[in-house]
Amino acid sequence: MKQSASFRDPSGFLFTDKGTLYRQVNEEYKAHYDKLMESGLYHSLVERKLLIPHEEVKIAPPEKAIAYKVIQPDRIPFISYPYEWSFSQYKDAAITTLAIEMLALDKGMTLKDASVYNIQFLEGSPLLIDTLSFEIYDEGSPWVAYRQFCQHFLAPISLMAFTDIRLQQLMRVYIDGIPLDLASSLLPGKTHFNMGLELHIHRHAASQKKYAGKGEKAKVKEARITKLSYQGLIDNLQGTIKGLNWEGVGTEWGDYYDATNYTTAAFERKKSLVGEFIDQVNPKMIWDLGANNGEFSRIGSGRGIFTVSSDIDPVAVEKNYQECRKLKEKNLLPLLIDLTNPSPGIGWENNERTSFIERGPVDVVMALALIHHLAISNNLPLERVGEFFAKAGEWLIIEFVPKDDSQVQRLLSSRKDIFPKYNEAGFESSLGADFKLIRKEPIEGSKRTLYLYRRK
Amino acid sequence: MNNIFEFLAPLARNRAYLDPGSGSILLQLVIAAALGAAFAVKVYWKKIKGALSKNKSNDETDTQVQEPDDPEKKS
Repeated sequence: MKQSASFRDPSGFLFTDKGTLYRQVNEEYKAHYDKLMESGLYHSLVERKLLIPHEEVKIAPPEKAIAYKVIQPDRIPFISYPYEWSFSQYKDAAITTLAIEMLALDKGMTLKDASVYNIQFLEGSPLLIDTLSFEIYDEGSPWVAYRQFCQHFLAPISLMAFTDIRLQQLMRVYIDGIPLDLASSLLPGKTHFNMGLELHIHRHAASQKKYAGKGEKAKVKEARITKLSYQGLIDNLQGTIKGLNWEGVGTEWGDYYDATNYTTAAFERKKSLVGEFIDQVNPKMIWDLGANNGEFSRIGSGRGIFTVSSDIDPVAVEKNYQECRKLKEKNLLPLLIDLTNPSPGIGWENNERTSFIERGPVDVVMALALIHHLAISNNLPLERVGEFFAKAGEWLIIEFVPKDDSQVQRLLSSRKDIFPKYNEAGFESSLGADFKLIRKEPIEGSKRTLYLYRRK
Repeated sequence: MNNIFEFLAPLARNRAYLDPGSGSILLQLVIAAALGAAFAVKVYWKKIKGALSKNKSNDETDTQVQEPDDPEKKS
């Protein structure tokens, strides 16, 4: 079955066969593929963990008439998208793309596309997953993927750094990256004094406007730049990206753990119960939803279980990723997800980038200190919350936070209490519609309860 | 003239499946020389600095091993 995300490039395509992912390399891409493998570029990139490793396999290609080879790439445990990354994840993805391009140039190749969707996180680091992104470098030609790199990476990252972190969500709207005229108009005036942003965003947008529909085909075809200039362009983009920083200001969650009503003993008790529940299920993958900075996600990932650690707060996700990077954690993927509006399916036929829920179901969903935010802050009926968790995973580790807990009191302080069913009995009967109760343990030292459920 | 360029342009360039955009290509022409020059200066400056620090470390002690300068290596 052909994959829905890889239909634009005539060099080949992804397909699945009996649940395994393969890539057909087309005959027309032969020279480029051979150069990638024989020039040492493939080995150099794989060694640096910049490119997904693959093996050539002898299975029948789905489109035999145009096939050259079939390769089997290593599998990415969870596909994520740029509108789900923290600032530093996005920045690292950009730096990785440019580092690959520099190495490719050294070996006489270049990236013919610079799509952000070709970058995924494996074992904690970003790497290129599209083996067919390279082409033989024709010395003198400009970089064909320059526009795409600026739209997919530089525009969103600079908007996040200089205008508002939330503008990253424009990537959900524009499948081919943020239009440069839009980025240029949204960036503050001071970015005209940042040489990289002035050239690659503002003047780039102006140049696009100037030549739009002018029919400059001849001029474009004749366009030549030296290899040194080409390297200079990549180097300048690298410097520009590296110079972009985001100082996350104090948000709701920044100091969450300091502000809770937990005693240290209750916190430790909760940790050990979560560990017990995980051991009881022994899953391959966990989604920790509402994970804050990933403290409890690490109970799973520390056991070698791949854990998606999602939160709605960009600061929490950023801290989580920085911790991952610092500790070189391989089994944890922090992501920015708003559960009340999780990533939809976007692109052609709503199917190029899959929705968050379609990337499941997962073995275990963890929802710790989350239910009150969904039920009280977002008015979601408990039954609907249960239905959602049942779609997302087979097992559920969930913490019930009662009304007399100070965190719930805080949420109720500014609104009318319209939640008569929000109590332990109401919670259990609502979850009972989709799940079977396996274990229930009070978290001593707090008013909260931890449950282990299995989908019916 | 166009025909000569078309003839010279190898297959690889013509088969680009993305539209690079006229404005994006022509901007590269405008900024190419300056960025190339800046890159050249940077590379040579690194080489000079590398050579100087190598000499310095050689003067101080012969046992110190210099790390190879590889800006692309992932940290």
